[in-house]
Amino acid sequence: MNVDEGAAPVLVAEQLGRDLPGDPPVTLVKDADLAIEPGKFTAIVGPSGCGKSSLLYLLGLIDRPTSGRLLLDGREVTPLSGDERARIRLERFGFVFQFHFLLPEFTALENVMLPIRRLGRLSLPEAEARARELLGSVGLGDKVLKSPDRLSGGERQRVAIARALANDPVLVLGDEPTGNLDSVNSARVVDLFRDLAHKQGRAVVCVTHDPGIAELADIRVSMLDGRISEVLRQG
Amino acid sequence: MTLRLGLLIHIAAKHLLMRRRQTLVATSGVAVGVGFFLAVSALMVGSQADFIKTLIDTAPHIIIYDERRSPPPQPGVAAFGAEGAAVQLHGYKVRTEVRGIKDWQAILREVDRIPGAIGSPSLSGAVTLRVGGREEGLGVIGIDPSIETRVSTISDKLRTGSLIDLERVQGGVIIGEDQAQRLALGMGDIVAATSSRGGTRNLKIVGLFKRGQMQLGSGSGYMLLREAQSLLGRPFVINRIGVKLADPYSAQDVAKTLEQRYFYKAESWQERSADFLGLLLTRNVIMYSVVSAILLVASFGIYTAVSNSVADKRRDIAILRSIGFSQGDLQLIFVMEGMALALVGVVLGWALGFGLMSVLGSLEFPIQGDVQRLPLDRSSRQYLIAAAASLAAGAFAAWLPARKAAQVDPVDILRGAV
Repeated sequence: MNVDEGAAPVLVAEQLGRDLPGDPPVTLVKDADLAIEPGKFTAIVGPSGCGKSSLLYLLGLIDRPTSGRLLLDGREVTPLSGDERARIRLERFGFVFQFHFLLPEFTALENVMLPIRRLGRLSLPEAEARARELLGSVGLGDKVLKSPDRLSGGERQRVAIARALANDPVLVLGDEPTGNLDSVNSARVVDLFRDLAHKQGRAVVCVTHDPGIAELADIRVSMLDGRISEVLRQG
Repeated sequence: MTLRLGLLIHIAAKHLLMRRRQTLVATSGVAVGVGFFLAVSALMVGSQADFIKTLIDTAPHIIIYDERRSPPPQPGVAAFGAEGAAVQLHGYKVRTEVRGIKDWQAILREVDRIPGAIGSPSLSGAVTLRVGGREEGLGVIGIDPSIETRVSTISDKLRTGSLIDLERVQGGVIIGEDQAQRLALGMGDIVAATSSRGGTRNLKIVGLFKRGQMQLGSGSGYMLLREAQSLLGRPFVINRIGVKLADPYSAQDVAKTLEQRYFYKAESWQERSADFLGLLLTRNVIMYSVVSAILLVASFGIYTAVSNSVADKRRDIAILRSIGFSQGDLQLIFVMEGMALALVGVVLGWALGFGLMSVLGSLEFPIQGDVQRLPLDRSSRQYLIAAAASLAAGAFAAWLPARKAAQVDPVDILRGAV
C-alpha cells in the first residue's frame, strides 16, 4: 500500500487548545498542530495525564476546543453547532473506547446497527445485512445475536470496532482500545486497526500507552504536559 | 424520519423493559390515578346531573306568583309624587289590592307561544283539616291535573292513587302520607276542611304522597282547581302559574321577559336554587383539586422513573452521543419513555376505572323503601379528559429529566471511565 506523503490530510489541527474553566484555568491541550492522513495508523502516546485523550476528543468532535482551529477536508468545523458536529460523527467518524461501551440491552447485531439505523440511508434488512457482514469481518459471524454480557472482553471490543465501521467512516478514533485486553486479544485488535488504515485506506488515530502498539504505528505522536513534543514517522 | 423515530422508540422500549419494577410502579401510579379520576368524576358529574334534574323537574322551571318584587305605587302617589307634593288630600283611602294574578289567561297565551312551553295555573291557600277532634293545617293547591302532570313530576311522587282521580271524585284531595298518618286517614276516607273564609267542605282522600319530598313539605295537598277556588272562596282566581320549558336552561331569560311584561314576580329554577348551584360550584372545585392532586402524584412516579433512567443511562447517553446521536434524539428518547409509561398507565387506568364504575353502579341503597342506585356519568368524555390530562402530565414530568439527558456531556463520562 502506498503510504508516502501526498495524500491530503483528512483532519488538520492548527494551534488547537483546550482549557477547563477555573481559577487558574487547567490546560488540557495546548497549541497542538497535527495532520491526520488517510491510510495511516497514527498513535498518540505519552504518560498518563499528558492530554492525549483530550486531544483525541477534540479531533473526534466530541469536545470543543477553546482555541485554535480544526479543519475537516479543508473546511473549518470549529464553529459548527452541536447537531452539525453530531452529524459529522455519525456519517464520517467511528469511535472505539477502552471499555467496550456497548449498549447492554442490545445484542451485538443491534449495537452495530445503531449508527446505520440512525443515519437512515439503508432499510432495516439492508442495515442488518451490513451489520452481519461487519461482525463477520471481525470474526464474530457466529455471535451476532449474543448480548454483550455473554461476550468476552476481546469479543466486545471487536463488536465495538464493527460498530465504529458501521457507516464506513473516513476516520476511526481509538481511545486505549487495547487497554483492557490480554496480549492475544490486544494484538488482534491492533491488527484490525492496521488493516483499517493500510487495506481500507481509512485514517486511524489511536491513543495508547502501550509501547508495543506505538512501535507498529505509521506516525507516532508523543505528548507531554498538553503539548505535542514529537511527531515521528516510522516504518 | 420514521426510521429515526422507530430507532428512538426501540431504545426507549429497551430501557423500560430492563427496569421492570420501576416501570410497573410508575404505570400503576398513573393507572390508579386515572382509575380513581374516572370513578370519582363519574360519581360527581353523575350526581350533579341527577341533582340538577331533581331541582329542575320537581317544580316548574318558572313559577309566576301573584306578587311583585316591589309594590306598585298607590294611585295618589302615582298622581302627585311621593314627596314634595304641594297638594294635601283629606280622606284619602288606601286602595286595597285584590290578591291573585289578573288577566292570567293572557299570560298563559304568552307562555303557549314559546315553542315547547306549557303553563299550568293553580290556586293555593290554607285550610284546616278536622277529623275526630284532631286539627291540622293543609296548604291546598288547586290544579288542573291534565296540565299539571305535564309541568311537574308530582305524579311520580304518589304512593297510591293518581292525579286524574281528582277529576273523577267529587271533593277529591291528595295529601302526604305522613299527614294522613297523623290524622289516622287512609285512602277513601272523608275529612272536613275549613277555609279561612269560613267555607267548609268534606274532602275524600284519593291519593297519598310519599314521605320526604322536599318540594312538597308534609302539609301540602292537591285538589282540583275549580274545587279549591270554591273551597277557598275565590272563584276564578289563580295565584300561581307554573311554566315548563323545552330548554330548562333558558328559564332565567324567559322569566325575565315575562316579569318585565306582566310585572308579576317570575322566579326561575336557577333563582330558586341559587344556593344549591353555589354549592355545586364548590363541589366541583373540590373534586377537580382532588383529581388534579391524584394525577400530579402519578406524574411524580413518571418523573422518578425517567430521572432514574437518565441517571442510570448516563454511560449509554455518552455512547449514543459519541456515535452521532443529537441532543434532540436523546431528549426524545426519554420523553417517549415518560409518554409510554403514561400511555400504558392510562389504558390500565381505563380498565380500573371501568371496573370501579361497574362496582359503584351495582351498589343498591334502600332509601325510604325505594331501591336507589348511585347516579354515574359513564360518558366517554371522562375517559378522554383522564387520558389527555395524564399524557400531558406524563410528557411534562418526563421532559424535565429528559432535558438533563440531552445536556449530559459525553466528554465527562468518557474521561471518568478511563
